[in-house]
Amino acid sequence: MIPATLERTETDWPAGSVSLLDMAEQSERHDRFEEQALPFLDQLYGAAVRMTKNPQDAQDLVQETFTKAYASFGSYRDGTNLKAWLYRIMTNSYINSYRKRQREPYLGAIDELEDWQLGDAQSTTASGSRSAEAEAIDRMPESVVKNALNAISEDFRMAVYLADVEGFSYQEIADIMKTPVGTVMSRLHRGRRLLRDLLSEYAAEQGHSVVPTAAAPGQKQGKGVSR
Amino acid sequence: MTDCGCDKAKESLEEYLHNELCKDDASDIREHIENCPECSGEHRVGLVLREAVQRACQEAAPEDLRDQVLARIRTIQAEHA
Ligand SMILES: [Zn+2]
Repeated sequence: MIPATLERTETDWPAGSVSLLDMAEQSERHDRFEEQALPFLDQLYGAAVRMTKNPQDAQDLVQETFTKAYASFGSYRDGTNLKAWLYRIMTNSYINSYRKRQREPYLGAIDELEDWQLGDAQSTTASGSRSAEAEAIDRMPESVVKNALNAISEDFRMAVYLADVEGFSYQEIADIMKTPVGTVMSRLHRGRRLLRDLLSEYAAEQGHSVVPTAAAPGQKQGKGVSR
Repeated sequence: MTDCGCDKAKESLEEYLHNELCKDDASDIREHIENCPECSGEHRVGLVLREAVQRACQEAAPEDLRDQVLARIRTIQAEHA
């Protein structure tokens, strides 16, 4: 037995009945967590903002995510995808606590495609106007893109975020969102289609309207964008 | 290699964009896109849309969030040690 007083010199941990070995292990795990998990803070915060649509809730969610991740870091297997593991914890936390007490209920989110959107849009879009569409989306102000993201339903938004911003594979997204891969594909496809339509709609309005609202000066564009 | 055609290409563009196709299918689509202005335009809209979303989603966490998280986990560690 090692006297408990020995290791007190190095740390201010309470003596308790923890052995030196446990303490060394915990300290090593703690360092590993700070070193490996903490660098994902900005990324997780970005995703949390998209989920909660609110910076304060996003901070709380990130805080909760790291606390939970830290508590169960022992169950994380080294060498597996740490980022996906953290996202899974955050998605769970969000679904279990935040969504329930979200101030603003999820009214008016778009998750249905209109009939005209379901039709074969490609065949009705001439390739000339398609390049105009690409150009308009390319020059779209960030605020407009954010609004469009916030307008589509949460499941669509998160699928798009996880694939397009984080670069997760369909399978990883399926694990994070706990849905079959087929569902991920359809959410992603429909979510991106809705975004595209919302942005093109905006561009078309800008192209025709006299007063540009959200666009910065000189960013008026989208003339001839096809619907 | 025979051209996979517009229908097949359009059907696979999303998966192509997200790198979800196997090597052979991906090269079929790539080849078709190179020779078909319509599908190439469609693909470009998809790429530009992804970039627009990426730009709009760049967020830096508030300065003190990192400190708060660190303080919290250090407290937990101290409590459990
Ligand atoms: Zn084609």
